[in-house]
Amino acid sequence: MVEIALILLTPILGGLVYGVERILRARMQNRIGPPLLQPFYDMYKLLDKQAILVNSYHIVFALLHMITLWITVALLIVGFHLLYVIFIHLIATIFLVLAGYSVRSVYSHIGSNRELMAMVAYEPILIFIAVGFYLVYGTFDTAVIFNSELMLDKMILLFMAFLIIIPIKLKKSPFDATEAHQEIVGGVELEYGGVFFEILYMAKWIEYIFIFTIVFLFCADSFILGMVLSVVIFFVLNLIDNATARIKIADLLKIVLGFGIILSIINLIGIVYV
Amino acid sequence: MQGFIFMLIFLPVIFAITLPFTSVRIRTLSTILYVAFLIFTSLQVFFHTDTIAFSFSHFQHIAFIVVDFALLGYFIFQGIKYKQNLVTILAVVQTILFIVVLQFSSSIFSSDIIVDDLSKIMLLVVNIVGGIIIIYALKYIDLEELKECKKGLFIGILFFFIGVMNFLVTSNNIELFFLTFELTTLCSYLLIRYRMDDIALNNALRALWMNQVGGVAILVSLLGSLYFYESLYFDVLLRSGASDYLLPIALLVVAAMVKGASLPFEKWLLGAMVAPTPVSAILHSATMVKIAPYLVLKISPALSPSLSLFIVIFGSFVFMSASLMAFSRDFFKEILGLSTIALLALMVALASLGTQQATTIVLILIVFHALSKALLFLQAGILEKQYHLKYLSDIDGVISHSKVVVFFILIGFASLTLPPFGAFLGKFMTIELLADLVATNALYIIPMVFILLGSVFLTMLYFKVVTKLLIQAEPTQDKAPIPYLFVLTSSSLVALLFYGIYKVYQLGYIGTFELLIPLAILGVTLLLLILSSYKGAHRVKEYNCAEKDEVVIQAFYFNIQKKYLDFIRYVCILAFLTIIILGAI
Amino acid sequence: MFKKLFNFKAYRKKSPWILHYNAGSCNGCDIEILACLSPKYDLERFGVLNTGNPKQSDVFLVTGPVTFRSRERLVELYNQIPEPKVVVAVGSCTCTGGVFRGMYNVEDGIDRYIPVDVYVPGCAASPELIIDGVVKGLEVLETKTKQIEVPFKLSTSPEQKDGIVDRTNMSKRIGDD
Repeated sequence: MVEIALILLTPILGGLVYGVERILRARMQNRIGPPLLQPFYDMYKLLDKQAILVNSYHIVFALLHMITLWITVALLIVGFHLLYVIFIHLIATIFLVLAGYSVRSVYSHIGSNRELMAMVAYEPILIFIAVGFYLVYGTFDTAVIFNSELMLDKMILLFMAFLIIIPIKLKKSPFDATEAHQEIVGGVELEYGGVFFEILYMAKWIEYIFIFTIVFLFCADSFILGMVLSVVIFFVLNLIDNATARIKIADLLKIVLGFGIILSIINLIGIVYV
Repeated sequence: MQGFIFMLIFLPVIFAITLPFTSVRIRTLSTILYVAFLIFTSLQVFFHTDTIAFSFSHFQHIAFIVVDFALLGYFIFQGIKYKQNLVTILAVVQTILFIVVLQFSSSIFSSDIIVDDLSKIMLLVVNIVGGIIIIYALKYIDLEELKECKKGLFIGILFFFIGVMNFLVTSNNIELFFLTFELTTLCSYLLIRYRMDDIALNNALRALWMNQVGGVAILVSLLGSLYFYESLYFDVLLRSGASDYLLPIALLVVAAMVKGASLPFEKWLLGAMVAPTPVSAILHSATMVKIAPYLVLKISPALSPSLSLFIVIFGSFVFMSASLMAFSRDFFKEILGLSTIALLALMVALASLGTQQATTIVLILIVFHALSKALLFLQAGILEKQYHLKYLSDIDGVISHSKVVVFFILIGFASLTLPPFGAFLGKFMTIELLADLVATNALYIIPMVFILLGSVFLTMLYFKVVTKLLIQAEPTQDKAPIPYLFVLTSSSLVALLFYGIYKVYQLGYIGTFELLIPLAILGVTLLLLILSSYKGAHRVKEYNCAEKDEVVIQAFYFNIQKKYLDFIRYVCILAFLTIIILGAI
Repeated sequence: MFKKLFNFKAYRKKSPWILHYNAGSCNGCDIEILACLSPKYDLERFGVLNTGNPKQSDVFLVTGPVTFRSRERLVELYNQIPEPKVVVAVGSCTCTGGVFRGMYNVEDGIDRYIPVDVYVPGCAASPELIIDGVVKGLEVLETKTKQIEVPFKLSTSPEQKDGIVDRTNMSKRIGDD
C-alpha cells in the first residue's frame, strides 16, 4: 500500500526534494532562495505557455524518457530483478539520446554525444553494484533485499563507487558536462519549451527519487540509516556542487571509470575471499 | 529422416547448377520454391526428436577426397595466377599435410554424419536466415550491372554455400569437416571478388590465406587426433580421456577463432565488406562465421579448466577491443563487421565454459545475433542501392525519404542491446552466469570487466551510428518506393525476432513482466510516433544562438592511437600461441 | 482551493525565467543585471532563473542600443520566445539610444523593432531599479494573452501549413525584402 502511494507520488516527492535543494544551495551562498514549492510554480507557468516544438519525434522520445524513468523507480520499489531494472534505466537514457539526435541542432547533438559517453562511465559500475548485491545477499530481487539484514560494511567500496557516479546522474558539478548550462545551453533539453519542457523537468525530479531509492537499497531494512545517509549525501552533494567547477567529458570518463572499476573490483574480491 | 539430411546437403548443390542458365522470372520463382523447400526440410529435421546418424560409402569417401585435392589445386592455381605467395605456400602445405593424413588409417570408427540437438539448431539458423537472405539477394543482384548468367551464378554459389554449411554442421568426421571448411573458404573467396575490381581481388586473396591458416590448424589437429587417439571422429575424440592430449582440441579452437575473425585476424572480415551486401549478410555475419562458436561448443566438454578459463579471458578481451576499434570507422558495413567480431568472440568465450547454462546462452546468442545482424546488413544493402549511401558521413535526412528503413535499423540496433530482445537476453544471462562464477573463483572478475566494458561500448557505438539517421531534411522530388522484396525480407526477419522472443519466454528463460514491460514501452513508442501530430503547437526553428548559418551535423569518431592498436594485436597473437602451448602440455 | 489550484494565470508571475541579451551594450547594464542575481540583491527569491534559452524564458531583458549586427539576432530571439512574453528594456541606451543617440551604427532603442513593455532608465541602471522593472513587468505579464506578437521590422507573420502555425521562417535578413 505504501509502495503504491510512493510510486504514484514520485514526481511530487521529487519536486519537493528539488525545491529543498534550491533553498539549500541558496542558503549556502548566503542568499535566501525561492519558496519551497517553487518547482510546482514553475510547472504551472510552463503549462500556461504557448506550446512550441521542432518536430513530433523529438517530443515522443522525451515523453517516453520520463515514462521509462518512472517505470524504473516503480519497479525498484515494488520489487523486481535489480539487473533488469538497470537495463530498463538504460532504455530511458537511450530515449533521451535519441531525442537529442532527432533535431538539427548542434547543442542537442553535443548533449546527446556527452550523454552517451557519460553512460559508458556509469553503466559498468551500476552493474558491478548489482553483482555485488547478488554476491552479498544471494539474490537480485529488490523486494527481498529491502527486507534483508543490513550488510553495508561488506559493500562499502561499492557504495563509494556509487557516490562517485551520483553527480553524473543528477547533473551536478563536477560531473555535469552532459547538461552544461551556459556551455552547451542545456544540451538535450535545449529545444524544448512550454509543456514539453515540463516533461524533462519532471524527469529530473524522478531521477532524484531513483538515486535515493538505491541508497535505501544499500541500507536494506534499516530505514533510519537510509534516511540519515540520504540527508548527508544530499547535503554533501550540494556542497560539492557549489564548490567545484565542471570537468571535461574525457576527464570525467577517465576519472569515474578508473576509480569506479578499481573500487568495484577490490570490493568484489573482498566479498569472495573475506 | 536420413533422406532429409541427404537432401539438405546435396540438393542445394543441384539447385546451384540449374540457376545460371535460367531467365529472371524462372530464377525468381525457382529460388523461392527452393528456399521454401529448404526451410520445410530443416523444420522437419528440427522437430524430429531422435539423433540421426549414418555414414557414407567407400566410393563417396573417394569422391570427397578427389574434390578435396581439386580444391587445393584450385587454391594453388589462384595463388600462382595472382602472384600471392602466402596463398600458394599455405595451399601447398595443406596438400602435403593432407597426403600425410591419408596415409594413416583410423582404427576406431563412428558415423560420418551425426545430427544432434546442436546441429538441428544450426541447420535451422542456416536454412531459414540463409534462405531469407537469398530471396533478398534476388532483387539485389538484379540491380547490379552484371551479365545475366553471372547473376544466376551468384545465386547459385549462395545455394551451394548453404548446402556446404548443412554438411558442415552435421559432420562428425574431422576429415569431412576439413573438406567443408575449405569449401566455405572457396565460396567466400569467389563471392568476395564477385565485382572483379582490384580492391575486391586483393581482399578476396587476403581472406583466402587467412582462412587457410585455419585449414592448416585443422589438418595438424587431425594428425594429432590420428596419432594420439587413432580416430578421426569428433565423438571419439571427445569421449576418450580428453584431458590427456589436448593438442588436437586446442588446434581446433585456433581454427574456429580464425574462421570467426577474432583479432588479430580481423582484416579478412573487414576486407570482405566490399563484397555485395547479401554476401556480407549470409557469409560474414549470419552463417559462416557462426562456425566459430559452433565448433567450440562441440568440443567444449573436452577442454581443460585452465584452457577454458584462458579462452574466456581472451574472448572477452577481443569483445572489448573490437568494440573499441569500431569507433573510428566510417564505412557502415565495417562497423557492423567489427561488432560481429566482438559478439563472436563473446560467444566463443562462453562456449568454452561448457556448462548447461553457458550452452543455452551461446545458442540464444547464435540464433538472435544471426537474425539481428542479417536485418542490419539488409538495411545497409537497401541504403546502398536505393540512396547510394555507404559512408556514415554521407547520411543525412534518410528519415524524410523512408521511415521504414530507419525503423528497421533502429529495431536492429535495439535488438542487440536493449530488453526484451534476444541478444540482450544473452548478455543479461551472461552477467548472471559470471556473477555465479565469481563466487567460486575470483579470476572471473577479469572477463566480467571486459564484457561489461565491451557491451557498453557496443551500445554507445550503435547509437552513435544513429546520429544522422533521425535528422529530418526537406524531402527531395525522387521518392522511389523501396522494392517490395526488400521490405518483405526485412519484415520477415523482424517477425522472426519477435517470434523468437515469444519462444524464449515459453521455454522459461524470461519472466512474464520482464517480457511485457519493455514490449509495452516499445509498443507505446510506435503508437505515439505514428499517431501524434500536436496540431496546436507552433513549429519553431532550432536554437543556434540566433545565427543564420546553416548547420551541418556529423557523428563523432574516436581514433585509437597506433601504439595501442599494435599492443592489442601483439597481445592477441601471444594469446593464440598460449592456447596452442596450453594444449600441448 | 480548487480555484487556486487551477488558476494557471496567477502562477505566471511566480516563476519568471529571464533571457538576457546584449544588443551592443557597453556591458555596464549587463554587470548590473548579473549583480541582481548575486547574494546582495538575490532575484532568485522571486523564482527568477537566468536561462540562456529563448524557448524556456518569459522575460526578455535587453541591454544596449541596437547595433547593426545585433538587429537580426534580436528579432530572431524575440520570435523564438513563446507567448506570453514581456520585454524589459534596461538602460537608457536600450530605451532611447542613450549617449549614442543619432550615431551611424546604432538604431535608437529597441522599440523600433520589438514591442517593449517596461522601460528601465539609467546609465547604468542600478540593481534596485532593475528589480523594480522586472516586478512591474510581471504585473504586465499577468495581463498578456497567448496571441502571437510580431516584431515591427525584419519579420513576417507566421505561416499556416495544414492548420499548424509555422514560425520557422518568420525573421528576415537585412536586404531581404
